[in-house]
Amino acid sequence: MNWKPNPLLALTGIALVGAPIYAHAKIYVSAEQAQKLIFPNKQFTKTPLLLTDDVQDKMQSASSVSHPFKGDRVWKASDGNYFIVDEVVGKHEMITYAVGISPTGAVQGIEIMEYVESYGYEVADESWRKQFVGKTVEDPIKLKKDIENISGATLSSKHLTDGVKRIMVMYDLILKSKAK
Amino acid sequence: MIRCKPLLGTYVEISVNETSPQYSERIANHAMDQAFEVIELVQKLMGFHNPDSELSSINARSHIETLEVHEWTFKVLSAAKEIHTLSAGLFDCAVGAKLIRAGLLPNHKNTQTIECGDLSNLILIKPNKVRSDKPIQLDLGGIAKGFAVDKAVETLKANGIESGSVNAGGDLRVFGNISKEIQVRSPTNPNELIPIGALEEGSIASTGLYYSKSRDDMNKLSYIVNPLNMEHVEFNGSYSILAPECMYADALTKVFAISQNDSRPCFEHFSAQAIKITA
Repeated sequence: MNWKPNPLLALTGIALVGAPIYAHAKIYVSAEQAQKLIFPNKQFTKTPLLLTDDVQDKMQSASSVSHPFKGDRVWKASDGNYFIVDEVVGKHEMITYAVGISPTGAVQGIEIMEYVESYGYEVADESWRKQFVGKTVEDPIKLKKDIENISGATLSSKHLTDGVKRIMVMYDLILKSKAK
Repeated sequence: MIRCKPLLGTYVEISVNETSPQYSERIANHAMDQAFEVIELVQKLMGFHNPDSELSSINARSHIETLEVHEWTFKVLSAAKEIHTLSAGLFDCAVGAKLIRAGLLPNHKNTQTIECGDLSNLILIKPNKVRSDKPIQLDLGGIAKGFAVDKAVETLKANGIESGSVNAGGDLRVFGNISKEIQVRSPTNPNELIPIGALEEGSIASTGLYYSKSRDDMNKLSYIVNPLNMEHVEFNGSYSILAPECMYADALTKVFAISQNDSRPCFEHFSAQAIKITA
């Protein structure tokens, strides 16, 4: 092990005063990369969905994710596999993720695409979130991006689990019959 | 390339260094897939929340019969017992019953009234057999995550990755010929990150009560329990441990947070260094 402590940090551990770093974001993979990772060698066609309020309500009550699902990020392969991109918003974080669903209705894989973290309530604010949606690796966002190795946080992935749950409810209600 | 998946109840990031001469995206993705699978297996074996995990059968039946377990479960339990002994009982993952009572862990069996033993009641029989003198409720949350990180690193290396890192919700390990800047969350404002230094070929894990003490659940008890008096330990700072292996870094953060002492003999034994960030 080779450890070079920050010279500002007294090793006995008195918190140092330095320039703090605030909200940060990470972009892992694009939608296209996520698709290839979950379904290597498969061709997908975009098949946007228009969801009724009734379906949105059912998705919400099954998952406790309150913001509506955007149906324009659904792709289908000719053999009945689905690839879906969605977002979840927690108190501290916003996560864009992709889910692959097999023709039998099983989760084939999950990839996190983007992760934006901020402490406080701005994450839940629509206009604050908009600045991140749809950004790609080529289109870097303004926030601190080179933060890679954070220790000391266990942000629960419960919100994401809820997000996947609502996608599966939507699959059962709408996509299952179309998968064949 | 960095990928991230929801595993072990948190977000697990795997990063491989793209500048090495042998790098190819296909090899990198294959290696990362394998590493994620290994973490999933650790979760399947040692998850407290999963009533079908090996850990759950140990908690349900090890006081009744001897159980055969996966070699990884055996390895984590052996390390847990070793740290338990060397820390004079300050590390004890048999505090599960206390955490169930506090509502911090799910109750699979009705254990409310049963008196549970500690790690010294757990008997390990080589190879890979486990039984217990007393009913026991193990929660490997404070050690298995670090073990999963170590296994993931091992898998990446075995699949031809020369350097990179694995970060499971703050338990992280850096390997190969790269040095990575490490940030620790400020205990007073978790979104404020404190750069603490650069790490090469090593691990760091931290313990703090950051998110468990958020605005709407101030009354929630701390998930750190002192095994010696069975009290929930409340603290404001954050406690980090640097060690060659992530499993030890992970487990020793509990010893550090409970003892509030950065020079315990077991730290030296595991070549670990302690860093406290005061609130």
